[in-house]
Amino acid sequence: MRRFRSTLTVKLFRDLWRLRAQSVAIALVIAAGVGTVVMAAGLIRSLEATRADYYDRYRFADVFAPLVRAPEAVMAQVRRIPGVAAADSRVTAYATLDVAHVAEPVSARVHSVPPAGGSALNRLVLRSGRFPEPGSPRDVVASEPFAKAARLRLGDPIKAVIYGKQIGLRLVGTVLSPEYVYALAPGQIVPDNERYGILWMDREPLAAALDRKQAFNDLIVRTTPGTVPEDVARRLDVLLASYGGVGAYTRKQQISDRFISSEIDQLRTMALVLPPVFLLVAAFLLNIVLARLVDTEREVIGLLKAFGFRNFSIMSHYVQLALLLSLGGFALGIVLGIWLGRALAGVYQHFYTFPFLTFRAGLDVHLIAAASTLVPVMLGAATAAWRSARLTPAEAMRPPAPPDYAGRLTGNLARALGPDEPSRIILRGLLRRPVRSGLSVLGLAAALALYIATESAPASIERMIGLGFGGANRSDLVVTFAEPRDANALHELERIPGVLAVQPFRATEARFRAGHRTMREGLSGVEAGGGLERVIDIEGNALPPPRMGALVSGRMAQTLGVGRGDVIEVRVTEGEQPQLSLPVVGVLDSPFGASATLDRAALNRLMREGDVLSGAYLAVDARQLPRIRARLKESPMVAGISSSASALRSIRATIQENIGTMTLFYGGLAVLVVAGVVYNGARISLSEQARDLASLRVLGFRRREVSFILLGEQALLVVLSLPLGMLGGIALWRYLSSRFNSDLFTIPFVIDTRVLGQGVLVVAVAAVGTAFLINRRVDRLDLVRALKTRE
Amino acid sequence: MARSSQTAAETSESHRGRPIIYRAEGLTKIYGEGDNAVHALRGVDFEIAEGEMLVLLGPSGSGKSTLVNILGGLDHASAGKVWFYDRDITLFDDAALTEYRRQNVGFVFQFYNLVASLTARENVSLITEISDAPMDPVEALALVGLDHRLDHFPAQLSGGEQQRVAIARAIAKRPKVLLCDEPTGALDSLTGTRVLAALDQVNRELGTTTFIITHNAVIAGMADEVMLFGDGRISGSRHNATRVPPMELSW
Repeated sequence: MRRFRSTLTVKLFRDLWRLRAQSVAIALVIAAGVGTVVMAAGLIRSLEATRADYYDRYRFADVFAPLVRAPEAVMAQVRRIPGVAAADSRVTAYATLDVAHVAEPVSARVHSVPPAGGSALNRLVLRSGRFPEPGSPRDVVASEPFAKAARLRLGDPIKAVIYGKQIGLRLVGTVLSPEYVYALAPGQIVPDNERYGILWMDREPLAAALDRKQAFNDLIVRTTPGTVPEDVARRLDVLLASYGGVGAYTRKQQISDRFISSEIDQLRTMALVLPPVFLLVAAFLLNIVLARLVDTEREVIGLLKAFGFRNFSIMSHYVQLALLLSLGGFALGIVLGIWLGRALAGVYQHFYTFPFLTFRAGLDVHLIAAASTLVPVMLGAATAAWRSARLTPAEAMRPPAPPDYAGRLTGNLARALGPDEPSRIILRGLLRRPVRSGLSVLGLAAALALYIATESAPASIERMIGLGFGGANRSDLVVTFAEPRDANALHELERIPGVLAVQPFRATEARFRAGHRTMREGLSGVEAGGGLERVIDIEGNALPPPRMGALVSGRMAQTLGVGRGDVIEVRVTEGEQPQLSLPVVGVLDSPFGASATLDRAALNRLMREGDVLSGAYLAVDARQLPRIRARLKESPMVAGISSSASALRSIRATIQENIGTMTLFYGGLAVLVVAGVVYNGARISLSEQARDLASLRVLGFRRREVSFILLGEQALLVVLSLPLGMLGGIALWRYLSSRFNSDLFTIPFVIDTRVLGQGVLVVAVAAVGTAFLINRRVDRLDLVRALKTRE
Repeated sequence: MARSSQTAAETSESHRGRPIIYRAEGLTKIYGEGDNAVHALRGVDFEIAEGEMLVLLGPSGSGKSTLVNILGGLDHASAGKVWFYDRDITLFDDAALTEYRRQNVGFVFQFYNLVASLTARENVSLITEISDAPMDPVEALALVGLDHRLDHFPAQLSGGEQQRVAIARAIAKRPKVLLCDEPTGALDSLTGTRVLAALDQVNRELGTTTFIITHNAVIAGMADEVMLFGDGRISGSRHNATRVPPMELSW
């Protein structure tokens, strides 16, 4: 028995060598699946582990509670709240900075430096220089990405306006903070590190600038394990109500953390949707290759059984072959996944500023990858192995009965459809194996669907940008004031030479409540009839801003569980903190933002504040743009200028970098799948039909006539897969685009017909290229052998 | 008429005034090289007249299949010449050989080699579609007595029926020559004689020059000429004054 088994092992490796080309095709498809699993699972693990580690080491808070002003004594009460492990008070302010190398004014958030010692929350990672000297009114550390983007060097002066006061600062160090892994300025959707910075300075001088000596306006809490942070947030709201608490929120609602979570969610979607496609295709390919092998080896199988080999040894022989076939693909997939994961970790490191982010695909990731390989391999091998076991020795040693094509479907349908005999051969071949043909079509369709879905992302995002910057916002510049101003400010802007049109807006932060659900979002007052900023829905239709009630974003409607006609309670977190009751007049699916929108005059009236604006949209003469910028930068009332053009540039760059890599990757994978299916399909056909095709050559058929029969089958499968693949791609992108939506933007569902065309072209080119490889084998058909052998 | 004659090249008209369809001179086929070389044909010469019924008789490895493969344009000779009428087919490249087979040669195989996914009629149409002046497929099948089995698939036909479909397929394009390699090799005696009768009828009615390769000496009786093969040479030949009707043959 030992000897027998070792001989079988020899056969195993010879088979493997003989099937090498098909093995490579299968291995590549498996590698694509395994690579995606390793990449996505590894990145999810790495991001989660890094985040957890970072938060833990630098004691990132669980609950955040901004307020207007509270005496330091309140902290004792905070620390007595059940579930509070540690609590720090701090002082936080918005600032406008004048930085030498940046043309526009820079918006900034300034925090007091966490107290020295290991117990402080939201500790900083010092990247260069030093922390501010205690008591120093000038020393400031900046977030590293901002310092780099704004080309700030240690020792550089920074002119800041905080709470209306001019303060001269000096950069003494750069830092990273767990609070700003993703540093997003209010109202932006991608980080703009050049024009938005985070600074930390000594608490004493910052508090003095804000008139909050011996007091604080921001509070962060770390909870004890097992505590529900929302409970602590609720108790803080009660405690801080009389100190102007504007609503405590948990880490889950913190913007930077929310972005990392949404990235992880996207990866998870990718990992759940895409690898199964590859692995199922691999299972199918393995299955047809093994089934064909068992067919051609039926006499050998019969012989082995006659010699006394057990079914188990024979089945395990084929299973081993399947395992060996997939081993290369598994190994390649691991390498591919790690390489890709590292590359993407580099991209993430750029967007998410972790002090460390190493791509680690641990044992668990490898086990997931191994399991996800093993399942399709077993699936593919099972029926073929089972078929080998079912053969009785006598039956196996007889030649197989000639395939019967007399069925009504195969017979008549092909007669009706096939214009000539070669096309009937093709049609009957396909109809006789409906399962195999169907799975081939599905495999090819999956590849096309994958391509269309991944390549549709840029068109949809371009549409989103178009809606945002052509539909909604048509201004050249957006000017934001340091604090709300009256109509005089508007006239001041109008008087600047080169300014062609201005349109005011009122924007504020608010806490929205419906029943027990709450959220913090923007409340936005849009000028009625304005041409520079409009309210538009995801279809691009302009809507008048409502005078009674508000339009809420789809995301807000979902979070608060409200619809048209419901009333939401709004507490503005600015100035007098007025409480408003706003009926929902409509749910707006808009590409950007998750805010509530109403008419500016109506908002002014509700806030009992007169004709007040938070800033304005400007249309300007392009030739005068630099002068206008310079003039605005000098103006003390201006806190920020953003240009639509630069915002557009930075969004496009982000998208290019993020999606470009993925698109290329998945496009390549689609090609692989098509090549794998066509190659294996044609090889199997060739093996099944070799004798027929050689006979036809003997009977005087030319090479291309024989190629037509061999490849026509594959061509027909490809053609059949195209409409299915297009529909599948459209459906897949609809699903993925809905999953990729985040709090800050909604990706419109757009299918560009060019992408459909490209997809078809990619599939066609991959199929034709593969067919070309196979076609050379038609030349090598052994004509003389065809005369002598029976199948 | 087949002759192992030194003067074959000098004549282009055979006896009874029929044109010579094949003429071979020093036809040699060697497989492999050096010590491993196998001499399948060792310099064969002959002339064959149009319309003859020939039986090539000999044991396995005697060279008869090699000869037919070369005549059929499936294999290249190592040395020597073969003229098909006035064209030397040893000079043909693969494409020219394909055209030669397509226009002039019909093949019948030992294992029929029908396309399993086509009916009897369709198997014949397959060939008539690529021919210049073919017979109607039904007519070809009627000639072999199968006009009642037109729409049956190979799996629904007996071995003898399948072989007769193969003959109909081979002759439907009105080839100049019909090459049959062990056409009864897979059949029992009774079925075999039916197949031979079909070949005999085609030869008589269409005048198709027919080569039947066999190691079954009984079959030699139905031929005009019998070529005996041994060790890569034509070891002898004989002319039958009268052809025995195939239905009278038995083995």
